[in-house]
Amino acid sequence: MIVAKDVNFSYPDGTSALHDINLEIGNNDMAYIIGPSGSGKTTLLKLFMGIEFPTTGTLKVFNQPMVKGQNKKIKELRRYIGPVFQDFKLINGRSAMDNIILGMRFLNISPQVMKNNAKEALERVGLPHKKSTPVENLSFGERQRIAIARAVARKPILILADEPTGNLDKENAQNILRLLTSFKSKDTTVIITTHATHLINGEKDSILISIDKGRITVERLG
Amino acid sequence: MKKYFYNLGYFLKEVKNIISLNLLSNMVTLLSIALILFILTMVISGWWISGDVLGAIQEEAEISVYFDEKFSDEDIAFLIKDIKIITGVKDARLVEEIEAHERMEKILGKEAQVLEYFDDNPFSSFIEVNIQLDKVNIIIESLNDMRGIEYIRDNREVLNRLQNISEIFSFLGILVVAAAGMTTLVIISHIIRLGIHANREQINTLRLLGAPEGFIAFPFLLAGLFLTIGGSIIAVSLSGFILKHIYGQISGPLPFIPLPSFGELISNLRVLIIVAGGLLGLVGGLFGLLSTRKAL
Repeated sequence: MIVAKDVNFSYPDGTSALHDINLEIGNNDMAYIIGPSGSGKTTLLKLFMGIEFPTTGTLKVFNQPMVKGQNKKIKELRRYIGPVFQDFKLINGRSAMDNIILGMRFLNISPQVMKNNAKEALERVGLPHKKSTPVENLSFGERQRIAIARAVARKPILILADEPTGNLDKENAQNILRLLTSFKSKDTTVIITTHATHLINGEKDSILISIDKGRITVERLG
Repeated sequence: MKKYFYNLGYFLKEVKNIISLNLLSNMVTLLSIALILFILTMVISGWWISGDVLGAIQEEAEISVYFDEKFSDEDIAFLIKDIKIITGVKDARLVEEIEAHERMEKILGKEAQVLEYFDDNPFSSFIEVNIQLDKVNIIIESLNDMRGIEYIRDNREVLNRLQNISEIFSFLGILVVAAAGMTTLVIISHIIRLGIHANREQINTLRLLGAPEGFIAFPFLLAGLFLTIGGSIIAVSLSGFILKHIYGQISGPLPFIPLPSFGELISNLRVLIIVAGGLLGLVGGLFGLLSTRKAL
């Protein structure tokens, strides 16, 4: 699903963010990218989504080389990804339901299926009663759950969650991690970045990618 | 295409959001476009009317040929026969003295009593020649060569003036079409840019979720289209009202001016201005989108 070979990445100002990344994440894997703030976790996810591109080396997502100038193909690829952004990127002034449906509008899904998917996702995240509430009136934790619902309602084959535990207390953070890992299935790969290593339960067969100063070490938990 | 159909309600809601986000500025835009298109409509109608009037007058172009008073009926009949075979002559007929008098009475209207001061009919009989206007010079040359013709009255001066007026309207029309088109494009593209700027976070989110550019752009194009079509409808309604008034002013006291039918003029204007407005809205929207594409 994701194959990185000797990937390096530097920002335009020359700041080097990732070094010699070699990585393979297969179908229906559960992967955690852990490391302190500023270690390069978000940058790595940005590469997976085609927001940034490797400076050197090769990166393939769903067998698609992630290189500049492939905007159309990368956009198509993003339709198979369910992203949960650190800042959620929900649209204020719209209800929770509208936000979830917005993520599906361009996927050639009929309105009825979109509605059913959104309802199901709202139930999975435990907020069916908040469907009509404008997102700006929801609590931080609720908005996070709506962001997750928007990601999973699209029935993605890859869920990318960037720091979903940030700014949450231990209990809520654990609940969110549990919720995200519950979406891992034979059809869905889940990748989560977090700096709260103590919250990871380390399910069998999950991949632990530790990142520090842009260098990674990969460990498959037995 | 299916996704656009599925999301028609969403697109209309988005258009409402785009317009209501800068409501005041969008209303001013609507009124400005209406005003610009109103000026355009008025100039185009002037262009049309003068062209039609000129065309109608040209269709009915005629010259009057006065002949030797000593001519017998037989001479006149021969003369008419000769005139009819000149290239460019459509018809020729004799207007008797009485008919000439009656015509003048009709033209003078209330002032016709001045004719009563004459003991005898002051008008001579003449031959009325219907011609093709573009052949007027050749026809007059041929008539001048004929025996017994004393005077030829053509209306070239009047026709030339009408032609000049029509040309001025054409020139003005081209200028106004260009100016109105450019101004509308600039206004619409600017308003679309404002809308895009106000919605940039949503646009970026949609891009990150993989939405195609066309899907993101569509509500903005629709907003541009709605504003210009709205402006066109206001412009056409206002023009209809003003033109009705102008028609009333002209057709009463000046019934001999062959104005085109009011209904036909308005329905043609309606189609032209609304279609032109729609196109300008689409193109302006596209400009707005293209100019902000890299900035987002």
